[in-house]
Amino acid sequence: MLFIDSTNFERLLKKLSADGELYVPVLMRLDGFRTVDPWKGAAQMLRCPVANYPDDKSREISEEKFRNVVIVGARACDIYAFELVDRVEIEGEFTDPFYKVRRDKMFIIGADCTECGESCFCNLLGNKPWPEKGYDLNVSSVSGGYIVEAGSDKGKAAIEANKDLFSEARDEQTKHRDEVRSAVLDKLEKQNRAFPRAEEMPDVLRAALTDDVWDEIAAKCVECGACTNICPTCYCFLLYDMKADGEYFQRISTWDSCQVTGYARMAGMLNPRARLTDRVKHRYYHKYDYLVKSHGAIFCTGCGRCIDSCSATIDMRESFKKVSDRVKAGKR
Amino acid sequence: MIENPYYPIDSVVEDIITETPTIKTFVLKPSRPIKFKAGQFMQLTVPGVGEAPFTPSSSPNVEDKMEITILRTGKVTEALHELEPGAKVGLRGPYGKGYPVDKMKGKEVLIVGGGVGLAPLRSLIYCLIEDASKYKRISIKYGAKNPEELCFKRQYDEWTRAAGNVDFTNTIDVPAPGWNGRVGLVTTLLDDLDIDISDSIAVSCGPQIMLKFVTLKLLDCGYEPPQIYLSMNRKMSCGMGKCGRCNVGPYYLCVDGPDMCYDKIKDIPNVFG
Ligand SMILES: Cc1cc2nc3c(=O)[nH]c(=O)nc-3n(C[C@H](O)[C@H](O)[C@H](O)COP(=O)(O)OP(=O)(O)OC[C@H]3O[C@@H](n4cnc5c(N)ncnc54)[C@H](O)[C@@H]3O)c2cc1C
Ligand code: SF4
Ligand code: FES
Repeated sequence: MLFIDSTNFERLLKKLSADGELYVPVLMRLDGFRTVDPWKGAAQMLRCPVANYPDDKSREISEEKFRNVVIVGARACDIYAFELVDRVEIEGEFTDPFYKVRRDKMFIIGADCTECGESCFCNLLGNKPWPEKGYDLNVSSVSGGYIVEAGSDKGKAAIEANKDLFSEARDEQTKHRDEVRSAVLDKLEKQNRAFPRAEEMPDVLRAALTDDVWDEIAAKCVECGACTNICPTCYCFLLYDMKADGEYFQRISTWDSCQVTGYARMAGMLNPRARLTDRVKHRYYHKYDYLVKSHGAIFCTGCGRCIDSCSATIDMRESFKKVSDRVKAGKR
Repeated sequence: MIENPYYPIDSVVEDIITETPTIKTFVLKPSRPIKFKAGQFMQLTVPGVGEAPFTPSSSPNVEDKMEITILRTGKVTEALHELEPGAKVGLRGPYGKGYPVDKMKGKEVLIVGGGVGLAPLRSLIYCLIEDASKYKRISIKYGAKNPEELCFKRQYDEWTRAAGNVDFTNTIDVPAPGWNGRVGLVTTLLDDLDIDISDSIAVSCGPQIMLKFVTLKLLDCGYEPPQIYLSMNRKMSCGMGKCGRCNVGPYYLCVDGPDMCYDKIKDIPNVFG
């Protein structure tokens, strides 16, 4: 196992990002837990111009125009979110080239969580608070620097090219890392003990399809859309054409939220989710039922950002507990 | 270099046919042939106005031209209705699965349309009629608000003359002066069905509320949910299963539809909105 001290780590970042962009947490802390904002904007821009019309240069997308991006300090949940959204934006019959090129040009430096937040529930998804895959390099904070592991060929090459910055990790350093890892996992298990595990939820939701428990959950929602904007696996977007002169326009893809009224409204004011309850429900069902059926996974990482950001203090874990209790009570 | 899926194929409006006071057919000539299956849809751009989804109403056997029949209802469709021949528009697609034509082989196909809903179905009608011997029967039932709103009037005879196994009946919602045909909602055309239901597939396209009552009626007549296909309607943006907008339960209509087997969606609450 390799070790890198803090000064050398900064040197490494400078080298890796020499020809591109560097994303780091504002306080550049790689201990603790995830950042407030998700990292999804690095792959799917908040507002992405996808075409200028008419413009022959817009007919094709040149990979060279995209810069390399180094992401530093993505947590296990953050990395897992990329893996999930990849399934939608890259896999299948069509690929979103803007997303794909950004993902291809991304170098991810993951980081262990040395604490967890009160809203964190990655363990309920069966995940660990340290990255196990999906990273190029992963760092675990230990005193004076980081234990470093490579998780891809790109990561191995980065170490190889900068050999002089690393030394062999000492046994007590790896021991310390392992202790921290299991302490954080224990804490997560403890703080989330009362809540149902994610794997139970698809069946629970299917049983609660017409239950009025959803009205109770939706009652507090103020429709701000914070939960979807901050969710690392919410990928929905809207295409709109910004008019320029004459027939010219720029087509823009922008993040969108299924929680706002107009999202699914059709011509003639028809709206399949005109009721707030149906929109609130949609978020839970999309993530915990529909995407399981269509893309083979629950689209939630347990990062808890939706809990922290909710203006109405709705806690997804509590919602699930409520629904699950209701379904169980109904069965008895 | 990667082809940009958001950039439309340049197309020219060659001709505009006024079908009804609210519906026009646009004959489009794309700069390269577009191959599509009946029931697949396109995203049509009016430059500087916006984009909206439409299913071609022309034969899938014609690739160098495409007809799209459009009801005037809002921003993009108003702009389309203002266009003159020669105007430039853009096309993306085709998207979606299209009608289950293979499943119709050897069967009695019942086609039920309402209003502009006959437009997507016309593509299917051409597709079936051009190969009529492969199907036991092609029975078309169509309803519109009033005689003026009957779409493709000039063609009904053409269709029934095209092959011996094609029949067409229509109705209007309420009586109108000079109208001697049937009166009543399109579901009334299903009252006296003389179809071998066990050997039939039914497809329907029209307003959501009509789809609901057609479905109930078909079930009443003895159709099983796997025999019924409905053109579902949801707001769409990307057409490629990415933007998340067009779902009916776990299905993205733009990828899994827009024509959905009723068996797949029957348990979804409020499926007809
Ligand atoms: C698969 C499919 C096939 C279809 N086939 C046909 C067909 O063959 N023939 C036919 O006539 N119709 C068809 N339709 C219906 C057609 O797509 C709608 O009538 C059309 O989208 C209406 O667009 P509009 O801009 O004229 O209406 P509007 O009512 O102006 O807009 C429709 C929706 O877009 C929203 N909207 C409007 N402006 C904006 C904006 N600037 N930014 C964001 N959202 C906006 C509105 O909120 C509304 O929900 C089909 C629909 C689908 C889904
Ligand atoms: S959810 Fe888990 S992986 Fe994400 S920040 Fe919290 S503890 Fe770390
Ligand atoms: S239109 Fe975007 S997912 Fe269907």
